[in-house]
Amino acid sequence: MAVFQAALVNELEKLYKKKKALAALLLSLAVIVIGQIIIVGVRSGFGLRTAGSMEFPMLVLSVVVNTILPLFTALVTIDSFSGEFAHNNMRITLTRPVSRLKIFAAKITAISIFILATLLLLLFFSIMAGFIFNTNSATLDSFVRTVFSYIVSLFPMVVLALGIVLLTNLLKSGISVFFVSILIFLGLKVLGVFFSQYSSILMTTQLDWYNLFLMKSFPLAKIMRQFLIMLGSSIMLFTAGFYLFDKKEL
Amino acid sequence: MKLTKKTTMVLSFTLGAMLLATTAIADIAAKSGYDQLKDALKFTAAQCSDNLKSFTMDISYDVKDNGKTLSFMNQTEKCDRTKTAREETTSEQTINGNNYSRQTYFDKATYIRLSNDDPTYYVTEYTQERKDMAFSNPFKENNADDAEKIADAIVGNLKDNVVVTENPDGSKVLSGSLTEVQIPSLINALASFEMKQQFNGQQDNNLPHLSKDVFVKTIDGTAKINKDGVMESILGSAVVSGKDEQGTVHAITIEVLAKLTNINSTVVTKPDLSGKKVVKNVIKNENSGPEISNPQEFMGKFKNDILITKDGKFVKVGERIIEITQIDQTSATGRYYEVYKTGFDQYATTKRDFSFTATKSKDKNSPEYKFRTDAGINEAFFLDEHAGKIYLNESTTFSEGGIIFDSTFSPDLE
Repeated sequence: MAVFQAALVNELEKLYKKKKALAALLLSLAVIVIGQIIIVGVRSGFGLRTAGSMEFPMLVLSVVVNTILPLFTALVTIDSFSGEFAHNNMRITLTRPVSRLKIFAAKITAISIFILATLLLLLFFSIMAGFIFNTNSATLDSFVRTVFSYIVSLFPMVVLALGIVLLTNLLKSGISVFFVSILIFLGLKVLGVFFSQYSSILMTTQLDWYNLFLMKSFPLAKIMRQFLIMLGSSIMLFTAGFYLFDKKEL
Repeated sequence: MKLTKKTTMVLSFTLGAMLLATTAIADIAAKSGYDQLKDALKFTAAQCSDNLKSFTMDISYDVKDNGKTLSFMNQTEKCDRTKTAREETTSEQTINGNNYSRQTYFDKATYIRLSNDDPTYYVTEYTQERKDMAFSNPFKENNADDAEKIADAIVGNLKDNVVVTENPDGSKVLSGSLTEVQIPSLINALASFEMKQQFNGQQDNNLPHLSKDVFVKTIDGTAKINKDGVMESILGSAVVSGKDEQGTVHAITIEVLAKLTNINSTVVTKPDLSGKKVVKNVIKNENSGPEISNPQEFMGKFKNDILITKDGKFVKVGERIIEITQIDQTSATGRYYEVYKTGFDQYATTKRDFSFTATKSKDKNSPEYKFRTDAGINEAFFLDEHAGKIYLNESTTFSEGGIIFDSTFSPDLE
């Protein structure tokens, strides 16, 4: 465990030094600022309420979870795998007395921590902005649901990251991984519209699964099914990704 | 036993795949409440159009502002498929405060209409039998599939909000409720904007003029399905909240209710017209609106005035004349010419004079006669039997040399 911890700290430090994480955080904050400006504009221009203090964080989440967050998850993941292979840094990482499984797991944990940190920061600032600028509509219930929605959004994002990890180990160049990821992402989005009855198995639809936690009647069975689908796909993607990572010649 | 790395990997991959496959199948098989609602609607529509002998459908809506009714409509529709007859009674109060009520009766050969402001029964008799007038299934319309896909996409994640309660006797209650947190912000904004425009577009002072803080507060719905799978009632309501200029909060409630009752026991009766004031009209079928029964009426001279504007007044400078010398259901011949009054010859530069042989459009019931001018331009004229006029559809529709364009020709009976 100590070895894994060391590997994780190492990965986190690399992530932190890369500035990409910082860029992601700054951009997320920009979304909040721009979103709030638009809302204030619509409110004074059209006289609509658009979003109360508790709807604002949900609005931010619905935008971020389909745009910036997947994008930066992809960038950070590609950096952590393809980037290191390309710069031959992976050789240094792998020559340490740590098994490849632990390094692989540490990398994925680091990416997950990055996603969670971004989500929590977004949660904090969007709630703040919501309370300062918008009509108060908060109840304890809606507050708890909002917090929950942000936290559970981590799961589909990790599945997405694992999918990208598999791609980085399949394709050599980081840029091709990036474009292939974007194409697949858009493709799945379109499929989700045309085959809405099967959309629950698509990664892109799962990104919106936080909506299930907002419902008045808590749909436990549906949440369990969605969770198991995500769990199943992440086990598959993790194993496949690791298999390729393990076999990779340096 | 110590597992090798390879077996562990194969095992965990298989485990993951199985987990994914089984839950995915379970998830697709598990019909969400939204799907059950859709199925019930389709089944009910199919029953109404194909199986039930007769039924009564009540549709009503009302709009209230803080409990005060602004507008409502009640419609009772009785359908008898054995007689292929339908009877509709509607009463409504529009948002401007006007009251209407209307009674209509349809069967294969007749259409009878009576409205509240006029004691006359308007009867239309069709010489050609019409197709089944009782009830048509909206899900069998051409665009129904596409509309369903679009609806599915819009509903998206909200479809899990429909909760199903099954009763011991096999009947079901589907219900759903959305509050502002669950309604997607974009939909909320568009809906509130639409509401706001609806109210503010009216000049009436009784109506609240929402100007600030407009938003959709809640959307609720309940549907009752009987043990045969037929939807007996569906109720939807929405509350839109907003403030007017004075800062008063208005809660606008919109309720829509549809009920299906008296299945197989509804009786549709043709209104008794004896001793009533009746206006009767006989036509071939409902598509034959503008058909010309007697084109011979249009033999002769039709004209209109050529006008110009001079010193802020209309001045007549001449006449355009169409002279039809032969006309029947397939073709027409005649001449078009313009005559200018003396002293206005300077306007006659665009003067036209030509003969034509027109053929009637192949489209059934169309009163259009097409012809080709000597200059090789396709033009057409239309006969309007009701107004007794000819409309000339010219390729040049702009006014030339200050002349005012007019394409309507009236009969010259002098």
